[in-house]
Amino acid sequence: MQHIEIEDLSKIYTVDKLAINAVDHVSLKIGKGEFVSIVGHSGSGKTTFISMIGGIIKPSSGRILVEGNDICLLNDDALSEYRNRKVGFMFQFASLLPVLTARENLLLPGLFNGAKTSNDGKKAVEYLEMVGVGDKLNAYPSQLSGGQQRRVAIARALMNDPELILADEPTGDLDEETEGEIMNLFEKLNQEKKLTFIFITHNLELARHAKRQIRMTNGLIKEI
Amino acid sequence: MDKFNFLTVAIKNLRRKTFRTGALVFSIALLVCLMIFALSFVVSVSSGIKKTSDRFGADLLVVPVGARSNAEEFLLESKEASFYMPKSIIDRVRKIEGIEELTYQTYLTTISGLCCDIAPTRIIAFNQGSDFIVNPWLQKSLGRKLKKGEAIAGYETDYNLGFELLDVEKTIFNNKFKIVGVLDKTGTGLDNALFMDEENLNDIIASGKSPLKTGDISIIFAKLKKGLDPYLVGKKVEADIVEVDVVSRREMGGSLLNALKDINKIFLVSISMASILAVFLVWAIFSAIANERSKEVGIMRAIGAKESHIVRLFMLEVFIIAIMGSIIGIATGVSLSASLSRSFNILKDISASLSLIQHTVIAIAGLLVGFAVCVAGAMMPVNRIKKLEPLLAIKKE
Repeated sequence: MQHIEIEDLSKIYTVDKLAINAVDHVSLKIGKGEFVSIVGHSGSGKTTFISMIGGIIKPSSGRILVEGNDICLLNDDALSEYRNRKVGFMFQFASLLPVLTARENLLLPGLFNGAKTSNDGKKAVEYLEMVGVGDKLNAYPSQLSGGQQRRVAIARALMNDPELILADEPTGDLDEETEGEIMNLFEKLNQEKKLTFIFITHNLELARHAKRQIRMTNGLIKEI
Repeated sequence: MDKFNFLTVAIKNLRRKTFRTGALVFSIALLVCLMIFALSFVVSVSSGIKKTSDRFGADLLVVPVGARSNAEEFLLESKEASFYMPKSIIDRVRKIEGIEELTYQTYLTTISGLCCDIAPTRIIAFNQGSDFIVNPWLQKSLGRKLKKGEAIAGYETDYNLGFELLDVEKTIFNNKFKIVGVLDKTGTGLDNALFMDEENLNDIIASGKSPLKTGDISIIFAKLKKGLDPYLVGKKVEADIVEVDVVSRREMGGSLLNALKDINKIFLVSISMASILAVFLVWAIFSAIANERSKEVGIMRAIGAKESHIVRLFMLEVFIIAIMGSIIGIATGVSLSASLSRSFNILKDISASLSLIQHTVIAIAGLLVGFAVCVAGAMMPVNRIKKLEPLLAIKKE
C-alpha cells in the first residue's frame, strides 16, 4: 500500500530574478512503514523536497498524495491539521521553544489540536522516558545538551502519533555515540509502530540504516 | 500536573525580556494616565458647571448691569464679589411676561478683625419665603427655617472641615450669630458660603461695617413658565430693565466653558500625539519580537499551529501588556487627578467632583484606548509573521 505518491513535483525559487529549480519534476512512491534515507550535497534540494511532503512549503507544480489525498489542495487550516496529526518533524537544528520546559515542548502539538493537557502530560512523560530524558521533564532547552535536545524533539515529533516522520539531518551535530543511539531509536520506532520514516543525511554510513536509499542531485532524485 | 495553555506560553514569552515588556507596559500606562487625567479634568469642570447651573433650579439669573462675570465667579468659582442693585427691580422683573417664580439673594464678604471674629467668609442672605435655591438643602440638613441670629454653613467651609466649632456664637458685622449646622454638599459655589435669612441685613447695615445699603440685593433667580426660551425672555428682561444683565442657564459659565474648549483641544492634540507615538512604539517592539521569534513561529507552524493560533499567542501577549498598562495608567491617572486637583484653582473653585459613573466611564475609555493602541501597533507585525510559510519562517534570520 502506498503511503505517499509524488507526481511531477517541482519547486522553483526566484533569487535576484534568477529562477532556481530546487526540486525538478520529481515523481516517487513511498509505501506505508518504509524507512527511506535521502542523501545529497548541500543545495541539492533535499530539505525543500521533504518540506513539501510535510506541508511546510508549497510546491510550484505537481501533486503530493498522502493516503490518496492531495495535500497541495488543502487550505492553510487543513494543511496545519495535516502537519499536526499526520506528520512528525525533526529539524536539522535544535527546534525546541526556549521558554518552554521539555515537558511543555511536548505538550505543544496537543495545544494546537485541543488535546487535554492531563492526557498529554502522562504521554509526554512516557515519551521522554522512552527517548532517555525522563529525568529532564522540567529542564529548559538551555539546560540540556545538544543530544538531549534532539531526543526531546524526537519525543515531540511522536506526541500526536503521526504516521509519517520527516527528519532533516536529525543527528547533524551530534557525536557518533549519540548519533548511533538516535538511529537505533528510529529503527525501533519504524519496526514497532510501523511509522513511515524519511530522513535526510550527509552521512552515507547512516543512510545505510535505511532499507531504501535515495540520492538527490540538483533537484533530481535517483534510487541507490 | 499544572495547566498548559496559550496563556502559559504568552506569559513565558513576556517574561523572557522583562525590561522590554516593562517598557511597553510603562508607555501604555503613561498614555492611559495622561488620558485619564485629561478626561477627569475636562469632565470635572464641564460637569461641575452644568451641575451648578442645574442645581440652582433657575432659568435666569438677573444681576446688576456689568456684574455678569462677578456673579458667575461668585456662584461657580466661589470667588468674593460685591455687586448690588435696588430691591425694586424684583417687581419690574416679575412683570415681564413668562416669569413664573422669583427669589433673590444678597452677597457680602466678611473682613477679618474689623467687624467679625471669623475668617473672611462669603455671606449669602436669602429670602426664606420665596427661596427655591437654598431651602431644599436647608430642610434636609436642619429640618426647619433659620431664625433671626442664626446662620448655617456650607459643606466646604471651615465648620464642616472641623476647623471651627458648631453651635457657637460668632460675630459677623458686629452682630452675634449662632452657627446652627452645615448644609449637605451642593456641588456649587454655595458650598463655600455662610447662609442667613435676609431679615438680619438691617442689623448688619446698622453696624455700619458693610458696604451694603438698605434695600440692596445682589441677584434675582427666576423660573420661567414651561416651554419658554430662557434666552429670549432674558433678552426681553435686558431690553425692559436697562439696569440689569441676564444670564440664562445655558449661558452660565460660558466663558469658563469656552476656555475649557481650548484646554480640551490641547489635551486632544497631546493625547493623539502620545497615542501615535505609543502605536509606533508597540509596532517597533512587536516587529522586533516577530523577527526574533520567526524561527519559533515556523517551528510551531510545522508542528500544527494554525495562523489563528499564532495570532492568539501574540494577541494574548498584547492583551496582557494592555491590561497591565491600562490598570497602572488608570490607577496613576486617578491618583494624579485627585492630588493635582488641589493645585488647580479652577477645580477647587468650581467644587467639581466626578460621580462613580463618570469615574467608571473614564476608566473604561482609558482601558479601551490602551487596548486599541496595543492592538493597532501589534496588528501589522503579527499579520506579517502569521502569513510566512513555515519553512521560510524557520529559515528567516
